[in-house]
Amino acid sequence: MDSKDRSSTSLDHPLSRRQLLVGFLSAYTASLIPWAWAQEVPNEGQAAFMALSAIIAGRQTLNPELAKRIYEALDRSEQDFAARTQQLVALIEEQKIDPLQLQAILDKQYPQLAPIPRKLATAWFLGVVEVDGQAQAIAYEEALNAVFVADVLKPPSYCYGAYGSWAEPPIPNPNTQSEV
Amino acid sequence: MAENLSADFVVIGSGICGALAAYKLARAGASVIMLEAGPRVTRAQLLANFRNSPRRSDWMSPYPFSPWAPHPVYKPKDNGYLVQAGPYPYPAEYIRVVGGTTWHWAAHTWRYLPNDMRMQSLYGVGVDWPCTYDELDPFYQEAEEIMGVAGSAEEHPESPRSKPFPLEPVAEPWAMRRLRERLQPEYPVVGNTVARNSRTFGGRPACCGSNNCQPICPVDAQYHGGLAVDAAEAAGVRLIPNAVVYRLEHDERDRIVAAHYFDPDKQSYRVTGKTFIVAANGIESPKLLLLSTSERFPNGIANSRDMVGRHLMDHPSTSLTFDADEEVWLGRGPQSPSSINTLRDGPFRAEFSAYRLDFTNISRVDSTTQRLLLDGVYGPEFEKRLRYSAAREMNVKTVLEVLPRPENRITLSDRKDALGIPQPQVHYAIDAYTRGGAQDAKKHFTRIAELMGGTNLRFTPDDAFANNQHICGTLSMGNDPNTSVCDRYGRAHDHENLFFIGTGVLPTAGTCNSTLAAVAVGFWTVAHILEEQAGVPSGKRAATGAGAGT
Repeated sequence: MDSKDRSSTSLDHPLSRRQLLVGFLSAYTASLIPWAWAQEVPNEGQAAFMALSAIIAGRQTLNPELAKRIYEALDRSEQDFAARTQQLVALIEEQKIDPLQLQAILDKQYPQLAPIPRKLATAWFLGVVEVDGQAQAIAYEEALNAVFVADVLKPPSYCYGAYGSWAEPPIPNPNTQSEV
Repeated sequence: MAENLSADFVVIGSGICGALAAYKLARAGASVIMLEAGPRVTRAQLLANFRNSPRRSDWMSPYPFSPWAPHPVYKPKDNGYLVQAGPYPYPAEYIRVVGGTTWHWAAHTWRYLPNDMRMQSLYGVGVDWPCTYDELDPFYQEAEEIMGVAGSAEEHPESPRSKPFPLEPVAEPWAMRRLRERLQPEYPVVGNTVARNSRTFGGRPACCGSNNCQPICPVDAQYHGGLAVDAAEAAGVRLIPNAVVYRLEHDERDRIVAAHYFDPDKQSYRVTGKTFIVAANGIESPKLLLLSTSERFPNGIANSRDMVGRHLMDHPSTSLTFDADEEVWLGRGPQSPSSINTLRDGPFRAEFSAYRLDFTNISRVDSTTQRLLLDGVYGPEFEKRLRYSAAREMNVKTVLEVLPRPENRITLSDRKDALGIPQPQVHYAIDAYTRGGAQDAKKHFTRIAELMGGTNLRFTPDDAFANNQHICGTLSMGNDPNTSVCDRYGRAHDHENLFFIGTGVLPTAGTCNSTLAAVAVGFWTVAHILEEQAGVPSGKRAATGAGAGT
């Protein structure tokens, strides 16, 4: 992993010639992932994985080490993971599928692709992947559900602060959104 | 079998009740052997188990059961240990390890209300206790001082006390403060009495608000059975872990003379003693008695009148979840800090169940994540919805009273565990009395939500009662041997030197968690034993007796 590149997603693959992620994407998908212009990836399979990760996670800067762990775990446990992910990204591009509609459309019309976003979302949001039929925790503090609320909450089992600090009002970061 | 294990006292079960009784006996100079079916565990390992669990929302996942000492596990699938005979499911949870189930608890340490102990006299339902609140007061105090109970006497006039709480109340989380401020004066929201350090106490630090009281406090800011075992061993108690007691043996005078246990390889051992204390929890204790049959006691030890295992009680809960109109962010500070206590007593108890209203402060992040994943919510919307629920979602639940009914009971099933020991079976129903309390609570649920500007109200269905794992009543104490298992001091009606300590002896459930009462009544039992044996124990000696070293 290039230590200078820690603020954005990239996968370690020294033998591949890197290209910008945006080069693998259509205009629609690229519009969901603004940082694709600055992101290098080694091949089409991993480009699709990162594009889909970005779509599911929602325009976030993604943790590169966690991205690597998730990719490796899913690539090992899911048959034809790279190919199916590419198919899925192509489908999203072709049909301009809104992330909020994605799972419902796949469940109904593309059952062979339906497990992919579910597993990817479980990995990113919860830090859990299933390998060889066994669920494994690959992230906790870095799972996105912890990251999304880190301005206010600590992951359970981590000390909140000095005794009594929880009696003070919570002060969310004003740059975050909590409204629906 | 090379050993001849013997002691003044043999304590079966190393949970908080058994371990603290053993500690007291050892401190008084007696030799004590404590037998525990499960293995030793450490806080560090349990914490690592939690953080590494792929099922963190399943709080039993850090506590895998041992093949030789199974306990009920329901996720990811039911291990089938506790056999359900119906009609209503009773998915009890408890943990068979050294230190027992209080490794995993919210550390609520309520005293009963005096009226909880006079239900028959006052309201014509349930039973009266064979002892009084005032008699138990000093033993409550002693338990509170060992466990480091924090609370405000001013906030808790409902359970009178002759001495102050050992620790000042734990700092109130912001979310609970907002509830208190917005619900007053209609509903007084008060801090729970808890065995949680509000300052350094007992060599343990103050709470640091990690919101992980269950399944494991990472810093031992809560008292628990593991600490009780440490104290017992330091006082000279000999603990034998992985010792699955499967039979009590009696002599021709009906005195208990030995406990027989299997090790994990099913090697059998016989432990002799002068006095036996069964403290193996509200399900495992009656199971052991029912297993211990003989020609003279064909239905089991202490069971000549078929009372063992009956009168099973717990605290079923219904709840309301809603979204407040302000950001309160549950998950900062301890998990279970505040309650409304005004519905725990009153003339209505003649008609329907009293209840405590309990507010959670458990982080909503994990549960919301699970829901959003199930709904397929992806993209920026996930973060927005997660933050919304994490900030605004609140929950209030009932802690309902169950009356002691003989038909709610623990029996032996025809299934056997890995050692060939019959597994427990439960017969349970939730009657109209308890359901009446749940119905009554709904109007308060609604009003509480209104006062918090609540929207998106989600009531649990009428027939969906969650369980609180406060297993009591199955070894009830009472004056009448025809309706109870032991006398007012916990002594088996049928056996002079057999005593019971634990939540099983509590004759009514009240509306509060049962641990503190069980520890206090256990101390009352120990005090009685020591007084009765005045002069005994015969000087402290090695608990190993003639046969040292397993």
